[in-house]
Amino acid sequence: MIIIIDGKKIEVEGKRTVLEVAREKDIFIPSLCDHPQLTPFGGCRLCIVEIKEKRGYPPSCSTYVENGMEIKTKTPRLQELRREILELILSEHPNACLICSEKENCDEYKSTIRKVGEVTGCVLCSNNGRCELQDVVETLKIDKVKFPSVYRDLDVKKGDPFFDRDYNLCILCGRCVRVCQEVRGASAVSFVYRGSEAVVGTVFDLPLLESGCQFCGACVDVCPTGSLTERGIRYEGLPDERAKTICPLCSIGCELKIDLKRQKILSSKPSDEGAVNEGQACVKGRFLIKDVVHSPRRILKPLIRVNKKLEEVSWEGALDFVAQKLKKFKGKKTALIASPQVSCEEYFLLHKFASEELKTENVDSSYRFSPLAVFDKMAKENGLELGLNFEIKDISRAKTLFLIGEDISKSHPIIWLEVLKAVKGGAKLIVASPEELSLSRYSALWLQIKPGTEFYLLSFLSKLFLQKEQEADHPRIEGLDSFEDSLDKLDLSNVFEMTGITREELKEASELLLDTENAAFLFGMGLTQHSWGSRNVAALWNLALQAQAQLFPLGLENNLRGVFEIGRNSSDKGLNLNQIFQAASSGELKALYLAGPAPYLKKANLELLVIQDSFVNENFEFADAVLPASTFAETEGTFINGEGRLQKFNKVIDPLGEAKPDWWIISQLARRMGNKGFHFKNPSDITKEMIKIVPSFSNISYAELEKGQKIFIQEETKKERSFIPLKYSDSHYKKSKEYPFLMFLDYSLDYYRSLSLSQESRGLKAIRDSRWIKVSLEDAEELNLKEGENIAVESSSGKFKGFVKIVKSLPKGILGASFLLSEDSDFSVSGLIPSVFQESHSLGMLPVKIKREK
Amino acid sequence: MKEKVLTEHFGLENLYKIDVYKKQGGYQATEKALKKMKPEEILEEVKKANLRGRGGAGFPAGVKWSFVPDTDKPKYLCVNADEGEPGTFKDRYIMSHNPHMLLEGIIITSFCVGIHAAFIYIRGEYEAIALRLEQAISEAYENGFLGKNILESGFDLDIFVHRGAGAYICGEETALLESLEGKRGVPRLKPPFPASVGLWQCPTVINNVETISNISHIILNGAEWFVKQGLPKDGGTRIFGVSGMVKNPGIYELPLGTSLKDIIFKHAGGMKEGKKLKAVIPGGMSAPILTADEINIKMDFDSLVEANSMLGSAAIIVIDEKTSILDVLKVVTKFYSHESCGQCTPCRIGNSWINKIVKRIAEGKGKKEDIDSILRLASNIEGNTLCPLGDAAAMPILSITKKFRKELESHV
Repeated sequence: MIIIIDGKKIEVEGKRTVLEVAREKDIFIPSLCDHPQLTPFGGCRLCIVEIKEKRGYPPSCSTYVENGMEIKTKTPRLQELRREILELILSEHPNACLICSEKENCDEYKSTIRKVGEVTGCVLCSNNGRCELQDVVETLKIDKVKFPSVYRDLDVKKGDPFFDRDYNLCILCGRCVRVCQEVRGASAVSFVYRGSEAVVGTVFDLPLLESGCQFCGACVDVCPTGSLTERGIRYEGLPDERAKTICPLCSIGCELKIDLKRQKILSSKPSDEGAVNEGQACVKGRFLIKDVVHSPRRILKPLIRVNKKLEEVSWEGALDFVAQKLKKFKGKKTALIASPQVSCEEYFLLHKFASEELKTENVDSSYRFSPLAVFDKMAKENGLELGLNFEIKDISRAKTLFLIGEDISKSHPIIWLEVLKAVKGGAKLIVASPEELSLSRYSALWLQIKPGTEFYLLSFLSKLFLQKEQEADHPRIEGLDSFEDSLDKLDLSNVFEMTGITREELKEASELLLDTENAAFLFGMGLTQHSWGSRNVAALWNLALQAQAQLFPLGLENNLRGVFEIGRNSSDKGLNLNQIFQAASSGELKALYLAGPAPYLKKANLELLVIQDSFVNENFEFADAVLPASTFAETEGTFINGEGRLQKFNKVIDPLGEAKPDWWIISQLARRMGNKGFHFKNPSDITKEMIKIVPSFSNISYAELEKGQKIFIQEETKKERSFIPLKYSDSHYKKSKEYPFLMFLDYSLDYYRSLSLSQESRGLKAIRDSRWIKVSLEDAEELNLKEGENIAVESSSGKFKGFVKIVKSLPKGILGASFLLSEDSDFSVSGLIPSVFQESHSLGMLPVKIKREK
Repeated sequence: MKEKVLTEHFGLENLYKIDVYKKQGGYQATEKALKKMKPEEILEEVKKANLRGRGGAGFPAGVKWSFVPDTDKPKYLCVNADEGEPGTFKDRYIMSHNPHMLLEGIIITSFCVGIHAAFIYIRGEYEAIALRLEQAISEAYENGFLGKNILESGFDLDIFVHRGAGAYICGEETALLESLEGKRGVPRLKPPFPASVGLWQCPTVINNVETISNISHIILNGAEWFVKQGLPKDGGTRIFGVSGMVKNPGIYELPLGTSLKDIIFKHAGGMKEGKKLKAVIPGGMSAPILTADEINIKMDFDSLVEANSMLGSAAIIVIDEKTSILDVLKVVTKFYSHESCGQCTPCRIGNSWINKIVKRIAEGKGKKEDIDSILRLASNIEGNTLCPLGDAAAMPILSITKKFRKELESHV
């Protein structure tokens, strides 16, 4: 269609607003409430236009173009009206500075007077000119406001983590309300009251912490004024530099914009250009990057043990020391553990180092229980070639979604946004989880499953399906008969009691799953992190085949996939992660190179322990040398996200203190040990070599990577699909008199290397503390446990300490603990490996008892 | 001779009970419509009757119904019983005196449009009336006029009463829908219009209580008869609610086109205490004011539009010479400043400033420029808001200020 804006003929296609078209054609129309990511609001009324044969002044943000429309955007009457409206807005917003003729001269005083609690003018506002209202005032050339200024005199809300809310500056554009509701699905804020008292607020004016806020910061990012401001940068002034990189705090791989001042990170915001996140982030990417990189727990100098004490030395001294020591422990008695949070290049080098220099096959990382590793293993064992790649965007197109073993609103917030899009488009969401999740309110069906019984749930659903299938005439998929046989043999007579799910709910679930064309099954650690992981995934695979659903294995760590791809080609004759720690305790292992997470090594019996990490941790106690690694922000390289997307991340700042990137440390060590294959000057040298060696990277061109293009790694998949006969044994988790509770794990990736995010950030700690032990209301009442009380949980193999968190939706007798177990425990340093769950009989459920602590 | 239609039996004891209602010929229209008529025939009849909406905008009911698309989605009827327009009190008379007449209208309308769930959104303050409606509804269920397979016609209908929480904006049809969905009552952007995308995104008919109450009479007596009760383009009677400084305030059901002068001086008994008439607000508070010289006017949609006012909800507020026009303006501006939903800048802040300026004048602190400020602010609101509330505020403020400028100026 053709429309005319200000006399200019424009060809337009599709359903577009006048404002969108005008923006595209660089025709400026002032606006404040409109935002490209949000539905039109039509409230501020600055974007009004005149349209031939239309009454009044329609707002261009909510008027859709029609063929032949003649639009005027800048008539004198429109400009006058806009100025009048803007004056009205300014009459309720501190405006003295906005219209002050001296405002330019005032800049140099700003920093001294900014620390007042109340913002009564731009000089006092922490937005520092990053203000859309200010921009509009300048373009419309307002130099006088006819009304006396009104200060609303509302209390500035400072009680919540991460950001302050000063509704004295609010212009009621409603962007925060819309983004919270439309994009994030949290609906934590809304307009409250009406008329001249209308303002944004929470339900009953409760703190955000009690209003369902996820602290993703999306509201702060869309706020056009200084009403919502990040507390951490209130008094920091403007950044002097901005960089882009990839967030390392989960497997999504969000692109972040990092604001810097004097080589220090001020804040991190989601980038609109992010291939995966498109302008959205989560509490970790938005508010914790700075805390992680500039944590006071950073180790900034190399340490070696001299006379039983760790002492600071030069890099030369440390590297010589470690190289000398390592030479003595080559071969089977040595092991190396790497973090799945380092770059592909660094992991590649660690591997190379282990095989070429340490001459050991004992190399592992904590990906073994991840959904993708378990999924892949299950497929291999059954002779299937299945792909692990997927696209997050596909999730929003699903018509039915089944989520099991993960609270994605916490662990994979960006995937949750895609699920939300699907649900808002009419898709049905089925959630299986032991406790009610905040996203359950969007579900068509919530199956409150007793953790550890997922296998039975999935198998029973398959059985219901088969009964239905017999009536329908579907093409038969290979392996059906043996699958049916195995199902027939499985005793599911008490499945309702076992899983805690009723017959009606299971029937409804099977109907929802059967009656769909495009289903997506999302599964996480809750399904795979235990000894039945493989058979759980097989059961899910069969169900997915029946429902013709796509499977989405959701790993946790940022470079889990990269580590997995690099590691899968090496021999698996060596010890795996568990075996390494067992061998360390038994004394079989003499030396351990720790470049990744590990449990507390109190029981270990090693002759040499080298730790390469960015943060101080409890295992330093046993270390012979500590090599300070820089964080992701201080180097560059590539990560592969959960989709299989290879993304380059950039160096943002120089390494802090004397910390060095992992690749540099390993290269230096190898060279000192006489290896000539480690002459890398920078990570891109490593990338070039890695691409040549790792088969799944063979499709990657370094030139494209340099250009910043996002690439999916290569994967060979065959279309063949067949059912897998179920395997099971009679073993089943058991409570006992001594251990009357069953405890499950709650998965979210709240750590970076050995840093616990909730211990580092008070804000995150208020939202979710890794030391919470979730207790049902009934149990809490029975045992007279108070919220926040210190308790310890004890199993047959040890105990750990935490705080009571009462969860109403939890069934009696079930406890929940974080993936990151307490630092103050017998099992783990900053957790990471929940060793208590590695007992073969545990099935993801651990029989425990509660002990009161003083 | 034209007769009373809606209020004919209002004096009758216990008319709100189904037995009494049925003795007066109640539910015959329902029987006729469901058993003898096809939905298309009902629609045709209502269209021919030229029944215009009684809520304020005067949109023809039949045309509105015909906008409902034929889809697989459920369709809904919402009866707007929010009656929040100041000066308006006709619907509460209908609902408290003759609730079954409304129910009959709902049943026939629903049958005509293919609706199986209807909602009566009633203002929160009408607690007792809501109770009475609930009782009437349960009587209708007991007598087989509601529920499954009504009168063995195969037609199902349920009616729900939903009480509002006291916001004027919820009388605006899309804000009403939001409120009914359990959300904050704020208007939606239009288009799409409720007829295609309404309650829970489904096609929805929204009509005023009085509009729907006319339906059974149209079905029983025919469109031709109905048109004769009023004007050719504006069929039926209107219930005029007269309040203010008249001898006999109250409701008066009269043919459309009755002169305003007659309503005040004949039907309502003339001015109280023999005072002189100063001004009349002819159609609820949002209607532009008429001066004493302007009351020789026919009370119908088109005549009032011609006189730059509107029939609105046909609530006539009579103002005498003793009443200060500044007091009138104060009440008007305070109301709209409080009742703006807060979404559109001109309405939210503009009305708030107008109210502050008027208060300032009333306190004797007014300035000469204030009158022009009021006019400027109000004209910036007009046509510049999402929903009609902006216009509803601007129109009376502009007309009062313009027509009584001299009197207002005497206060500054």
